[in-house]
Amino acid sequence: MTPPRRSVPPRTPPRTAAARTGGRAAAAAPARPRPPRSAAPPRPPRPPRPPRPPRTLRLGDSSRRLHGALIAAAVVLSLFGGRLLDLQAVQAPENAARAEAGRLRTVELPAARGEITDVHGTVLATSVEARNVTADQTLVEDPATSAALLAPVLGVNAAGQQELQERLTGTKRFVYLARQVTPEAWEQVSDLELPGIFSEPTTRRVYPASGLAASVVGFVGREGDGRGGIELAYQQELAGLDGVLTYEAGAGGRQIPTDSAAEEEPVAGSDIRLTIDRDIQWQAQHLLEAKVEEANADSGTVVVLDTRTGAIRALATAPTFDPGDLGSASAEDIGNRALSDIYEPGSTSKIMTAAAVLEEGALRAGSTVVVPASRNGTSVGLKLGEKVFHDHADHGVERLTFTGVLAKSSNIGTIIAAKKIGKDRLYGYLKKFGIGEPTGLGFPGESKGLLTAPATWSPEQFGTVAFGQGLSLNAVQAASVFATIANNGVRVQPSLVAGTVAPDGSFVASGAPSTTRVVSARTAATLRAMLESVVSDEGTAPMAKIPGYRVAGKTGTANRVDPACSCYRGYTASFIGFAPADQPRLVVAVTLQNPRNGHYGGRLAGPVFRDVMAFALQSMKVPPTGTAPPRLKLTAP
Amino acid sequence: MTLGYPASPYTTRRRSLVARVADRESVLRRLDWVLLAAVIGLVAIGSLLVWSATRQRMIDADLDPQTFLQRNLLNIGIGLALGLATALFDYRMLRAYAPFVYGASVLGLLAVLSPLGSTINGSHSWIVLPAGFSVQPSEFAKVALCVALPMILAERRDGEAEPSLTDVLLALGVAAVPAVLIMLQPDLGTTIVIGAIVVGVLAVAGTPTRWILGLLAAGALAAVVAIQVGVLEQYQLDRFAAFADPSKDPRGVGYNTNQARIAIGSGGLTGKGLFEGSQTSGKFVPEQQTDFVFTVAGEELGFVGGAAIIVLLGILLWRALRIALRAEDLFGTLMATGIACWFTFQAFENIGMTLGIMPVTGVPLPFVSYGGSSMFANMMAVGLLQNVHMRRYA
Repeated sequence: MTPPRRSVPPRTPPRTAAARTGGRAAAAAPARPRPPRSAAPPRPPRPPRPPRPPRTLRLGDSSRRLHGALIAAAVVLSLFGGRLLDLQAVQAPENAARAEAGRLRTVELPAARGEITDVHGTVLATSVEARNVTADQTLVEDPATSAALLAPVLGVNAAGQQELQERLTGTKRFVYLARQVTPEAWEQVSDLELPGIFSEPTTRRVYPASGLAASVVGFVGREGDGRGGIELAYQQELAGLDGVLTYEAGAGGRQIPTDSAAEEEPVAGSDIRLTIDRDIQWQAQHLLEAKVEEANADSGTVVVLDTRTGAIRALATAPTFDPGDLGSASAEDIGNRALSDIYEPGSTSKIMTAAAVLEEGALRAGSTVVVPASRNGTSVGLKLGEKVFHDHADHGVERLTFTGVLAKSSNIGTIIAAKKIGKDRLYGYLKKFGIGEPTGLGFPGESKGLLTAPATWSPEQFGTVAFGQGLSLNAVQAASVFATIANNGVRVQPSLVAGTVAPDGSFVASGAPSTTRVVSARTAATLRAMLESVVSDEGTAPMAKIPGYRVAGKTGTANRVDPACSCYRGYTASFIGFAPADQPRLVVAVTLQNPRNGHYGGRLAGPVFRDVMAFALQSMKVPPTGTAPPRLKLTAP
Repeated sequence: MTLGYPASPYTTRRRSLVARVADRESVLRRLDWVLLAAVIGLVAIGSLLVWSATRQRMIDADLDPQTFLQRNLLNIGIGLALGLATALFDYRMLRAYAPFVYGASVLGLLAVLSPLGSTINGSHSWIVLPAGFSVQPSEFAKVALCVALPMILAERRDGEAEPSLTDVLLALGVAAVPAVLIMLQPDLGTTIVIGAIVVGVLAVAGTPTRWILGLLAAGALAAVVAIQVGVLEQYQLDRFAAFADPSKDPRGVGYNTNQARIAIGSGGLTGKGLFEGSQTSGKFVPEQQTDFVFTVAGEELGFVGGAAIIVLLGILLWRALRIALRAEDLFGTLMATGIACWFTFQAFENIGMTLGIMPVTGVPLPFVSYGGSSMFANMMAVGLLQNVHMRRYA
């Protein structure tokens, strides 16, 4: 290779001259030839080189090597250019796609879950913003230290810290560390700036009224979806529609501000407005809990029903639970006993028999019923099939009015009356009262009770059904029977939901409840008068009296089926009544299961009825009617 | 030109500024303007890239997004001043001071290893000064070496075509001291840069080819021994392993390489526009304002921007080698050669690793990467090149 020395010779003379004469003098020389440009025009054939002056340094090797370096550098830089072109042009789409895939993240935007309120709009269940703390295990650098830092912020103990550390260790790209922490807690976690720790927005369900109406409101699962009660029954309305946010995230998971995010807005859920009145509910619950404890009962329910609209104003169960703290509730308490627990109603069921007998014209209120002597534990009583029936108190042969049969709650008298219409007609009325039929509430876990067809009834079962054993119902169904009598014989399907409030604030009332006529208004009126005498001093429930108001009702002291042995053991004590008796507005049904301190419905349930009814009437501003109760004869001449 | 003053006896000797600047022999006339223009172009692009790379990070940290831009501009200003000073001090006089320059740099490197030193980003390469400043003596060691090695190799008696064995061994010894000290920090990248300077200077000084080849072989052997003995840190070996197959551990050691490639590749031919790079704003590429600054160019300015940087660096190398070729004396030639080797190797290594054709070792891209010490050293090196260029005919 020829040494590229072209640039050296032309500048040699002035350089040597300058070196010898000194800088300033050479600089002053006017006509120093400039080095030629490399792009100079074609030159004439080069003359033979003048002899070079002796040099103190030999650049032969140096310049060759420097030129080699220049060429090598040019080659390498060209290679870089080629590689750049390859990456940015040939492989560009692939790289851009990889870049996008690394950045694109989709986040579900949870729709705001609707609230559940009482009839006046008082919030019973609502949602607040929260964060789920998540982790990408592959990005976590030090699980032990991270867990130690996270534990106090997330409020977990040593065992929880150990679990955190386990969740931070591994190769999973997504794990939950904590669910539904407060935004403040997430802020603290975020401030720790731990690698691999992320969060997703979510909501947390809170129940400001704690356990109030919990059995109605229900509860949500870990993901915030309804799992019980109204939360479950109205899941679709409450939940709304989740949105989706697609955005480009940086390596730290933060949204890159330079890129626009595609967002599908969530649609908020609707609020559910219950028919429950918080004040009445609280009173009912409070009184019930006290009574369940006092009577040492297994459980109890109170149903407060608007006789005209079927709206349930209160639905208390005891023991109950706190939907915000499900962990400490026992499994059997999570639910709604007033709808899911069925029981044999006993004497309160006699009003259906009485209504049927009256409606069929078989007896009138004043008709005489001769009740044969009854002595418990002996064969003295009313024999039906193989079985001898007794009344709860021993007595000789009695001549009672039909009203008296009801007021004294005579089983034998009721059977005699029922036999006048026969089992098929009795069955027809029971069905019309809603026994063995769903309440129409559509409540999760509701049980419709049991009423077998009359063709299967033995003579004994006909007798028991007449006075309320051998059939079963739930507390709301029982209350509904009394509401039908109170409402002039027209049954209004009970309801728990007054309507929904859309996210824009517009209220949509629930559809009008279905109504069916069960008995005539006249029969209903007669029966109301008869039921009023129950609360008289001669009846079974004088303790249910409310000063100033006329009250009608019926006690029940039923033999209770113990599911453990499928036999009768213990009692179901109840009192169901309505007021004012002549212009009824409310039904209150109080039921206590398996009380051990006393078992008579009048004595146990009566006072609860009285207090709840009195409070509810005042709360709803129902004035006393000011009329005098009729005086019906209980005994026949 | 009198500018209103009466003519005085002195005016003939004290010419006006304009006249002096316009004079054929003025310093400005003799500057290598192409070289300067390439440097200005590189620092200008570099400032924009550093700004873009740090803007989002600073916003996220609730700090002034212009912080790094301002500091970089300050570094450039100081660097230009240092470069000017270096250019004006006649390099032939510098030969006399070379031992002191070299000694000072060795002392600086020793200070780093003493309790005065600080560790930043896993490298114990820093001396933290009061008022938030810190210096990286290894950057200045390159300058010192570019002065010291030529001093030894240019001291040659007339007529000698090649340096004597004594000179070569002395040069190797002079280079070995800072090289070992830098290796102890540990800073593999800078050590290799020093190796490149040594080989380049020796080659151009006329060292026989067989010696150069022998030196390269010895270097390769030393590398093998270093790996076997365990002088290299595990992360350095991992980086080489990741270079061989970046997909082996995409979240670990291959992460930088992969992310750099993705960032550059997603830029396309014309880029996404300054500040618009989502890989950059998304902070996917670590140390993006320093070692991986080229990825910002690749993503936001595209092939056009990346190629511009390569062309400007090409011009820089061409001018440096041209100055070496045309230098007045062997000392100037060797000094320019050393600097050219330094810039060449750093440019190759830095761009090469971001493009995935070189293994990852942390060296900054000359004039483009953020970093005060590096900027000062680069500017001083340019000052030396201008110095040699200006005094060609003096």
